[in-house]
Amino acid sequence: MSLQLAKLIPWLPALSAVVCGICCIKRPLRKLAAPVCVLSILAGFVITLGIQSHVTGHHEGGAVGQTVTLFEWVHAGSFHVDMAYYLDPLTIVMLFVVTGIGTLVALYASGYMAGDRGYARFFAYVSIFIFAMTTLVLADNLVLLYLGWEGVGLCSYLLIGFYYQKPSAVAAAKKAFIVNRIGDLGFALGIFLTFHHFGQVTYTDIFNAAALYHAHGVEVPWTVQLIPYLLMLGAFGKSAQIPLYVWLPDAMEGPTPVSALIHAATMVTAGVYMIARLTPLFMLSPGALELVAIVGCVTALFAGTIALCQYDIKRIYAYSTISQLGYMFLGVGVLCTSGAVFHLFTHAFFKALLFLTAGSVMHALAGQLDLRKMSGLRRKMPVTCWLMFAGCLALAGFPFTAGFYSKDEILAAVMEKGLTEHSALYITLAVLGLFTAFLTAFYTFRLWFRVFMGPEKYEMGEEHHSDEDSHTTQDAAHGSTSGGIEVAHHHEPHEMPLFPMNLPLVVLAAGALLAGVLGHRWMAHMIGSSSAAVVSQVAEHGEAATETTHHLTLLPGVDLHTSMMIISSVIAVLGIVLAAYYHWLNRPAADRLASQFKGLVTLLANKYYIDEINDAVIVKPLNLLGQVFFAVDQLIVMGLVQFVGFVPRALGLSIQPTQQGKLQGYGLGMAAGAAIIALLVVMAMH
Amino acid sequence: MSVMADKLAGVWPEITLGLGACVCMALGLAKASSTRKLTSWVAGLFLLLSGVLAIAGPQPTSGLILPPQMVLYVKLAVVAVGVVLLLVAAQLPSSWRATHRAEEGIEPFDPANVMRGEFFAFFLFSLAGVMLTTTANDLVWLFLSLELVSLPTYVMVATSQDRIRAQESAVKYFFLGALAVAVFLYGFTLIYGATGFTDLSRVQSAAATTTSPLLTLGIVLAIVGISFKIAAVPMHFYTADVYQGAATPVTAFLAFVPKTAGFVAIIILLSMLPQWPTHGPIMWLLWIMAALTMTVGNVMGLLQTSVKRTLAYSSIAHSGYLLVGLLAGPALLTSGGGGSGAIGNGIAAVLFYLVAYALSTIGAFAVLGCVQVDGHEADSFDDISGLSTKHPGLAAVMLVCVLSLVGLPPLLGFIGKIYLFGSAMAHRGENPAFVWLVVVAVLNSAVSAVYYLRIIGACYFGKPSGRTEPQHCPSRRIAALVCGIAVVVMGVAGNRLVTLARESSQLAQPSQQTPAKVVSDELPTDIHGG
Repeated sequence: MSLQLAKLIPWLPALSAVVCGICCIKRPLRKLAAPVCVLSILAGFVITLGIQSHVTGHHEGGAVGQTVTLFEWVHAGSFHVDMAYYLDPLTIVMLFVVTGIGTLVALYASGYMAGDRGYARFFAYVSIFIFAMTTLVLADNLVLLYLGWEGVGLCSYLLIGFYYQKPSAVAAAKKAFIVNRIGDLGFALGIFLTFHHFGQVTYTDIFNAAALYHAHGVEVPWTVQLIPYLLMLGAFGKSAQIPLYVWLPDAMEGPTPVSALIHAATMVTAGVYMIARLTPLFMLSPGALELVAIVGCVTALFAGTIALCQYDIKRIYAYSTISQLGYMFLGVGVLCTSGAVFHLFTHAFFKALLFLTAGSVMHALAGQLDLRKMSGLRRKMPVTCWLMFAGCLALAGFPFTAGFYSKDEILAAVMEKGLTEHSALYITLAVLGLFTAFLTAFYTFRLWFRVFMGPEKYEMGEEHHSDEDSHTTQDAAHGSTSGGIEVAHHHEPHEMPLFPMNLPLVVLAAGALLAGVLGHRWMAHMIGSSSAAVVSQVAEHGEAATETTHHLTLLPGVDLHTSMMIISSVIAVLGIVLAAYYHWLNRPAADRLASQFKGLVTLLANKYYIDEINDAVIVKPLNLLGQVFFAVDQLIVMGLVQFVGFVPRALGLSIQPTQQGKLQGYGLGMAAGAAIIALLVVMAMH
Repeated sequence: MSVMADKLAGVWPEITLGLGACVCMALGLAKASSTRKLTSWVAGLFLLLSGVLAIAGPQPTSGLILPPQMVLYVKLAVVAVGVVLLLVAAQLPSSWRATHRAEEGIEPFDPANVMRGEFFAFFLFSLAGVMLTTTANDLVWLFLSLELVSLPTYVMVATSQDRIRAQESAVKYFFLGALAVAVFLYGFTLIYGATGFTDLSRVQSAAATTTSPLLTLGIVLAIVGISFKIAAVPMHFYTADVYQGAATPVTAFLAFVPKTAGFVAIIILLSMLPQWPTHGPIMWLLWIMAALTMTVGNVMGLLQTSVKRTLAYSSIAHSGYLLVGLLAGPALLTSGGGGSGAIGNGIAAVLFYLVAYALSTIGAFAVLGCVQVDGHEADSFDDISGLSTKHPGLAAVMLVCVLSLVGLPPLLGFIGKIYLFGSAMAHRGENPAFVWLVVVAVLNSAVSAVYYLRIIGACYFGKPSGRTEPQHCPSRRIAALVCGIAVVVMGVAGNRLVTLARESSQLAQPSQQTPAKVVSDELPTDIHGG
């Protein structure tokens, strides 16, 4: 299969977006939207499968990507930006994630969204999203990357606010958009600075320029050192890291498949991808990667603690996503790019699975998401129960699941860096990472035991998962027709149909359990031959370090990696066992424990009051400032504007008397005008 | 005889139009009403035929003041815009009560009742006048051709509507026109008195050798008189009344045809001078006329309640903009081909903008003509209020045409304004006062947006009045559509027209004949380089 086919990967979904848009307008075509969307993404996946051998096969060790140019985009002076795609193994991995998970989620959504009034609109948005996301990962320059970056931001905004009748959804959409603006401002400035210094925005040019700095040991100017910090800001915004994470929990207002696809598996990992892609640039500035690692680790811990005391299923997963993204940043921060991307890869499987199963629960309970109002659902929804169990195992890092391998790779790399460099900082980060792993195991299984184990009891939610007025159409998820507004089947939770909803979940569950075992060598090879691997060649102590690692150990008798594996296994199992005790076997004990640490629990349940603090420190003063400006505008600017508007009118009014409709007057005016001009000319000539 | 033959060689398109006019008059008197209804088609046929002759027919070889390409450009522009105007006007005679009744057989046929033939004959005569203006090489010829443009329009205005207002405005138009003619004829006599020639090329060579105040005064008066045709201060008074009084298709006609003839005549007059007036009284005359014209047009436009009057003042204002380009004059020779391109050439900008303005304003008038309120043509803002709900297509055409008049990118009017104002900026080295004129022009464009947007506001946000009824005039809708599409498409891809305009004006150097042998050697590079 020709590499040129890669061009189709973004544009098929773009075409699908147009078709879905038409389906939006033409009511009878609605049902077509889902298949069109799914097929367009699936085609992207198939193409990726086909071309991957072209990208990975040719070179061993060399880190040369291939460029496929679509057309010349902007050529102005020395500034060249092409609509060109850069294909290297990192791109391929990302494409697999985006198109693979995208296909499965879109398939699930074709059942989940059935009967919704915005059915076709939803798939149009999803298609645009896939277009933008694939453009983002395929881009061969920063400007195109930015285009995709903003495109996914837009789709995220549109999909969070999908239920635009709900004020909370609209508010959440705005919040996501505005918080991302802050990050994107930094990102844009970073791109400007890059262009200013390197004169180009194409990856290969930037990498070559960065390599020159490394090779010659020239001192890097401080403005170049600033670039990574600015780019980082964009990554923190998009990938929901401290301090810009606040939008992600609220983003769960969107339909659940969106949470799975955009706010867990793909879009939010764009920041990780960007840093991984631009590793050579980030290495120009010594403190930058360190800061990335610290922020990642702190975010992981911070979000993990918040997740402990939340009751909304989707919010718990949202905080868990933030926490897991923190791990990825920790990974790229210590130059363990393959670990970070591997975690991105496995996380996409299990977090998409978790969100979608949560969506199934929500679907079954008519919008109910509160942990306290459901229990023992395993008999009602056995398949969902065990699918989510698989996802939870992976998230908790249970031995030999996908999450176990990837998380372990990152933590081992951090510990290794700490021990080889005798850096207290990195050892601390590794320990905090392990502690977060324990928290993760605990809150994950707290959720699962609460929902599926224990006595069977549930309360239906207030809203139905789709708009009331849409129930005249058949609800595919239930396979039953319902005539009136009073819908009987909502009173009983039920299992989801195998197709199209549970089947994709089975695939995801298989990935969540097996991707780690099967994938970790493949991933190391892939990332090792991508641009992110410039790292290992450049890093001076490359060879020496691997030599010494074998002597490092935490536990007697085994090397560092194995010992980290053992430790994290123990921690994961411990977390699960504790969760089982407090949230399944002895639930009153959990309440007693909570009442003992009442202050802490309240603090966590209120998410450290970060939203309130932001409101008081940033929003309120800005609002006040805005009001001041508004007053100035009203009093001074407005007056000026009105004055400016008044002048021409006054001028017009002053000459209006010349137009009275009388022939004599007009004749006089013309004659006088001609006479005056003649007189002036004669005077001027003398 | 050879002189006569040579002169005839250049005017085949005009002769065709004249013939067409005669045929139209005869056809308009035919007994059968179905034959009479063919008149508009025949007029169109002759118009197209003259266009073909302009391209493929014998070309004038000598005795032209304007470069042959410019003559061709203007003639083709007249044909093209003339076709659009004909589409707008095709159903106009049917709206006259007497003509209508005669044609429907309600009343017996009476030559005095049926004015279809006259209307289209005058239509063609007036267009022939514009074409003749371009080939003028004699003061008398110039005078006669200008009058050939105007005289038919007086009748067209008078007969265009069965309302007393049409007659009133025609009378005003006629008397004021006569006054203006007196002024520019006086100017012509002064030119003749100063040089002793009516032949323009001899006037040109006489002007090159001697500087006579009388000649300057003559040209000034001639320009002032001709400014009636382009509706510029101080000859603008008639505009609003006449535009409002005439039927909308005729108003659209007035907005393009006399204006084009006037600008061509002024270009001819200015090329009498040894060099383009960048200093001295004529420069200041044009400067002040431009500034006053656009300012008066725009500030008066703000106060109107009638869309037609608003567009009339907009026509005045656009003459002001066109004068800016005229003042900038032909391309700078010193700046070379490459960078300056079309943007340094004021004459090219004027030629381009005449077409751009015509399409935009005819589109707007055509939309107005398609709407009827209480049995008469739409006129006030209330009449088009809420147009978009009932006629989204017409409203959309109005939107793009009016935005093009504002000069909003990427529409045609924007490109035109860029060239006009850009050419004045490119010539700022010759006279810094040009910069201030551009400042005035840009401020004026901003002011004009107010009343243009009011038109759009009325169309899109006004309450539908419910009294509007669509008029049965398919060809007028087609014309509106053509204008709307042209304004958008040529705004995006109007390069060809720009190139045409630029090439046609390359040789419009007033001093091409006398001292500029060096200059004419450089010209070819300019043509290809730009």
